[in-house]
Amino acid sequence: MREILVIGSGIAGMTAAIMCAEQGMHVTLVSPFPSERSQSVMAAGGINAVLKNNDQGDSVESHIEDTINGGCGIAGRDSVEGLCRGAEDIIGILEKCGAVFTRTPGGKIATRNFGGQSHKRTCYCGTSTGKQIVTALVMETRRFESQGLIERKLWHDFHSALIKDGVCYGALLYDEASRSLEPIYADAVIVATGGQNAIFGKTTGSTQCDGYTAGRLFMQGAELKNLEFIQYHPTTIETPQKRMLVSEAARGEGGRLFYINDGERIYFMEDKYGSRGNLMTRDVVSREIYEAGSQVYLDVSFLDSKLIDERLPEIKDICSKYIGLDISKEPVPVSPSVHFFMGGLAVHDDHQTNIRNLYAVGECASKYHGANRLGGNSLLAAIYSGATAAEAINKAETGEEIIRPDLKDYIDAEVSALEKSMASMSSFPVMYVRDMLAENMNRDLGIVRDEESLDQGIKEIDYYLSICDQIKYDSSVLPYFNYSLKGILVLARAVMTSAKERRESRGAHYRSDFPNADDNQAYSSIISYDDGKYNVRLDKENAYES
Amino acid sequence: MKVNILRQQSPFSEPYWESFIYDGPEDNTVAGLLDYINYNDDIVNTDGEKTGRIAWECSCLQSVCGSCAMVINGRPSLACETFLRDLKGDEISIRPLSKFPVISDLVVDRASIFESLKASNAYIEEFVSEERGDHELQYASAKCLKCGLCLEVCPNYRKGRKFFGATFANDCYLIYLRSNVMSKDIRKEYVSHFGNACSKSLSCMDVCPAGIPLLSEIAAMNRSKR
Repeated sequence: MREILVIGSGIAGMTAAIMCAEQGMHVTLVSPFPSERSQSVMAAGGINAVLKNNDQGDSVESHIEDTINGGCGIAGRDSVEGLCRGAEDIIGILEKCGAVFTRTPGGKIATRNFGGQSHKRTCYCGTSTGKQIVTALVMETRRFESQGLIERKLWHDFHSALIKDGVCYGALLYDEASRSLEPIYADAVIVATGGQNAIFGKTTGSTQCDGYTAGRLFMQGAELKNLEFIQYHPTTIETPQKRMLVSEAARGEGGRLFYINDGERIYFMEDKYGSRGNLMTRDVVSREIYEAGSQVYLDVSFLDSKLIDERLPEIKDICSKYIGLDISKEPVPVSPSVHFFMGGLAVHDDHQTNIRNLYAVGECASKYHGANRLGGNSLLAAIYSGATAAEAINKAETGEEIIRPDLKDYIDAEVSALEKSMASMSSFPVMYVRDMLAENMNRDLGIVRDEESLDQGIKEIDYYLSICDQIKYDSSVLPYFNYSLKGILVLARAVMTSAKERRESRGAHYRSDFPNADDNQAYSSIISYDDGKYNVRLDKENAYES
Repeated sequence: MKVNILRQQSPFSEPYWESFIYDGPEDNTVAGLLDYINYNDDIVNTDGEKTGRIAWECSCLQSVCGSCAMVINGRPSLACETFLRDLKGDEISIRPLSKFPVISDLVVDRASIFESLKASNAYIEEFVSEERGDHELQYASAKCLKCGLCLEVCPNYRKGRKFFGATFANDCYLIYLRSNVMSKDIRKEYVSHFGNACSKSLSCMDVCPAGIPLLSEIAAMNRSKR
């Protein structure tokens, strides 16, 4: 029986695990915490799919065009076509697993408007779509657990991949219970570890997603792609503990953005872009809010209060609970905040990285979204990518026995390095470095960047990297936080370098010193790592996109 | 503000109380308070001794993931939605959930929630294509965070016993209505591990952060005869 190791148990990881188990493979599903704690539960708005019985004149072709245009022309057409054509089946699969989709009075799956889309095609489960999907997939995963085909390993963190000569043979995991490193061998490894939130500190997403896996794999030879494209979600609210998302569903249901000038409301998005101005793509809306230069408000108070209660209850609840504001009575003060990473591990259309038998799915992989992701496409991509990787692994079965090389030297060296590090106790350095990194990233890699800020950012990260191997073990946090620091710093350096090397403005990457798009740069960027050197190139040969 | 925290270094060590002074923003939540104590400065307890960071679990920080479940001033709560302004008195006491083994400080291992669901084959397998029962209630049921607050407050739930508690009953309800083949079996499991032993204190509903109307689910399950 083929052994598959899936790292990360959110929606993408669970989908990959389920689909592999369905093909008779044995899956080890690894995560520090249960799936209920994953960032996937936070996805509020919905999942895009053109359903056959839609009555809006929508078509899969429109979904494809919207996705490619929203991504500013650099997403691969073949992969986007696969994504959009597979969407309807995915809705069917989710419903069969138990996802409770909102339905119209006539019994059809309801859809709502989302930004950058020509038609109303975002299917949703109230305003907790991600949570409803997680619940369904957890139950489906459990079905295969009971058959012995999926085995969950909780309290385990990724340490590194077991790679030799460009082939992946498994991963080294840190077991928080035994407090030791443990190798797990597999015929294929699928990483589904989410976005790179922690390099920016607290974002709208989960504190658990820190980008370490992508950073470490990058150091081990995996290429990364499109790191400079970081989505700032236009509508987030300030709360005492983080910036929280106000879902695009609010604007999808008719919400309007404005600021106040001389006592008058200026509906700047509608003034500039017409009646659908509030539903422009997220990169455009965020930049317009940034350029408005004054406090922007999101208003849904004019909508029927029954509609708010029925379709936007979680948004109403969040605003009431965390900022004491009733959205049915007054507008919400909003501003953009880091929300999603279009960049990540570079993967081919089958989601295999440049390392053989190493796959990446979900937000940690860079695919489909180009320079800017459309709302409703992330849940779709999470599921589609998980299914695609599982299918590719199934097809790659050759029946030949894999001869595993001797990896003992590598494992022994890593065990010894961790033990040595743990013997040099000190207080607090690791979390301070992470906090300072986040401060720098937010300052130097904002919605608008320029060469000077990016050079400054690179200089600061290089300093942290220069001390990172010398600082002592921080005994006040888990070993994971200690050994993950370097991978996170290297990833941050790669992000900053990619942003510096793209000397044009495209999608979520806006350079004030190069404010226009340049056709000669209308390609994905690829970055590779060679012993401290960061090499960026444009993917003009379509190594990853077709 | 004085903050008393029940700490424990490891699963095998003895718990002990340690106190801190919180001088951060008043409009904070308990999650924000823990972050403030952990990262604002060196951590010093009220005896003036330097001490280690307080371990606690968090992910979403907006009450949809259930990570930060703990007992705050005697009430099982999520730290990320418990505001300091809503707590009475000048002191706060924080301790880990007591129905689960402690890993470290406020971090507990809630594996028993998932083990009981796995042991009962709580999954849908074959979906009922037509809408059956109350859609809104099923939507609410699928919002269960598996945070364990309902089990902490439940007078009937004890780890290792046959009674699996509200998280289990909640999932049984969803499976009962949405599965073609598991309905009968899951109802048997429900009766055996919940229905016959729940004393209906309904304290679970008082503390549920997702606001799940468990009573309606119990009523639907108890009425069912399939």
